[in-house]
Amino acid sequence: MVEQMIKVKSLAKIFGNQPALEDVHFEVNKGETFGFLGPSGSGKTTTIKILTGQLIATSGEAYVFDQPAALLNKPQYRKKFGVVTDNSGLYDRLSIYDNLKLFCDLYDVPAKRINEVLEMVNLGNEQKKVVSKLSKGMKQRVQLARAFLHEPELLFLDEPTSALDPANSKHIHDGLRELTKKGTTIFLTTHDMHEAEILCDRVAFLHKGKIQLLDEPKKLRHQFSDASLQVLLKDGRELLLPGGPEGAQTLYDYMQADQVVSIHTNEPTLGDIFVEMTGRELV
Amino acid sequence: MTFSMKRVMAIFNKDLKDLSKNMYVSTSILMPLVLAAIYGRMADELSIDAYYLVINLAFTMTATFIQCAIIAEEKEKNTLRGLMLSPATVVEIFSGKSLVAFSLTAVTIIVSCLFMEYNPENIVLVAVGMIVSTLFYLALGTLFGLLARTVVEASVIIMPVVFLFGFGSLIESLIDKYPFLSVAEYLPNMQLIDLASKVQAGSGLADVWPHLGIMTIWFLVTAFITIVVFKKKEIDA
Repeated sequence: MVEQMIKVKSLAKIFGNQPALEDVHFEVNKGETFGFLGPSGSGKTTTIKILTGQLIATSGEAYVFDQPAALLNKPQYRKKFGVVTDNSGLYDRLSIYDNLKLFCDLYDVPAKRINEVLEMVNLGNEQKKVVSKLSKGMKQRVQLARAFLHEPELLFLDEPTSALDPANSKHIHDGLRELTKKGTTIFLTTHDMHEAEILCDRVAFLHKGKIQLLDEPKKLRHQFSDASLQVLLKDGRELLLPGGPEGAQTLYDYMQADQVVSIHTNEPTLGDIFVEMTGRELV
Repeated sequence: MTFSMKRVMAIFNKDLKDLSKNMYVSTSILMPLVLAAIYGRMADELSIDAYYLVINLAFTMTATFIQCAIIAEEKEKNTLRGLMLSPATVVEIFSGKSLVAFSLTAVTIIVSCLFMEYNPENIVLVAVGMIVSTLFYLALGTLFGLLARTVVEASVIIMPVVFLFGFGSLIESLIDKYPFLSVAEYLPNMQLIDLASKVQAGSGLADVWPHLGIMTIWFLVTAFITIVVFKKKEIDA
């Protein structure tokens, strides 16, 4: 039986009269990377705060490590998880090394681990730099390095690469894969659909505080695909062939005539699916 | 989870490094030192009230203001949340964070006493009184730091505290005119002055324990309120 790291049932959170989450259900299995996707204000950060014991839900149940999520507020559980949110602060006047050294001591991790995590976020040569002199992207990488320090069983990442360029995002993605190979479960919120496609085993689409869809990215793309094919011909024409016998016959004819340069399935991206479901872009 | 001195010292070392680069806060210890140097040259022997005007100012400017600014900055920069989500307990976080202000207060008061050539008749009793006072002022600084949203806001809301506890002895001179101000005699700064006056007159523990008791009650009540406020801040609304 698959061990579940997170179990959420009928979770709701209301701020004043404004519902932030409504009847949210999901489970996250041990070792998987679970994507929680949605636009700004959809309830992603609220969910992370509830799951890490920083916020009390209005109703419903949330369990992490088989314990009520509110207990994650207790020091004995804090070694088991890590959190990176967009407002995870750093000590501006201190160096990268001093920032990480503090957390090595708090988590009882040897200082040599600092080099390892800085390599993971592509900051291996920047240890002595003072945080106030870093760019937003570099600060984000230091925050990630800090979360990687104690190799948590469960890692909550809220938009972890939002300020990074593609090269550094790839570096972070490689680091996250390395962690999942070692058994870390990742709960990832993002509105970067490409990131979700390449990292997540399963994704949930959150819109207006409700989960609209939840499945593996591949299955979602198949579910929303119209089975049509994009065909590029040698004379430069691009054809969109419908699925079924009619399209198959047309494709066969062009292939017989040696006219086909390339064939692509016309599957929607996760972004396309989200727009179709909610009528709005993921920003 | 057991108390970890390693975690306390990690927070202390971090704060020490951080504060050494924060001129805005660290220079606040200069005011009582400058005042002590001036007072020390004014007369061969100062009155107890004069000694304790400087000493109480040192408590408010170092123990309370520095502690308040340190906590408020952690909140402003969202670094307090990082500590709260780490394995450090509330006691470890606040012990570590109070150690810097405690050490600076001790140094400031000792140097101020040397400048003013203040020699208590019973140094142990006066030291106990000062330690209890330091704990009270640290708890007060922590409380105001938790209530402030930014360092700038902290430096504004701490002003009434600096006036009340730092210059509180001035209130005493108004008691004859405004009898309701006699409640000010129970303030911890006034209790410390009473304790020091009695000690200087040759009194022992039997005579000064009520003053120590009142100061301890101030500390315990302030610490309790601080813990309640911290627990509320630990979890968002």
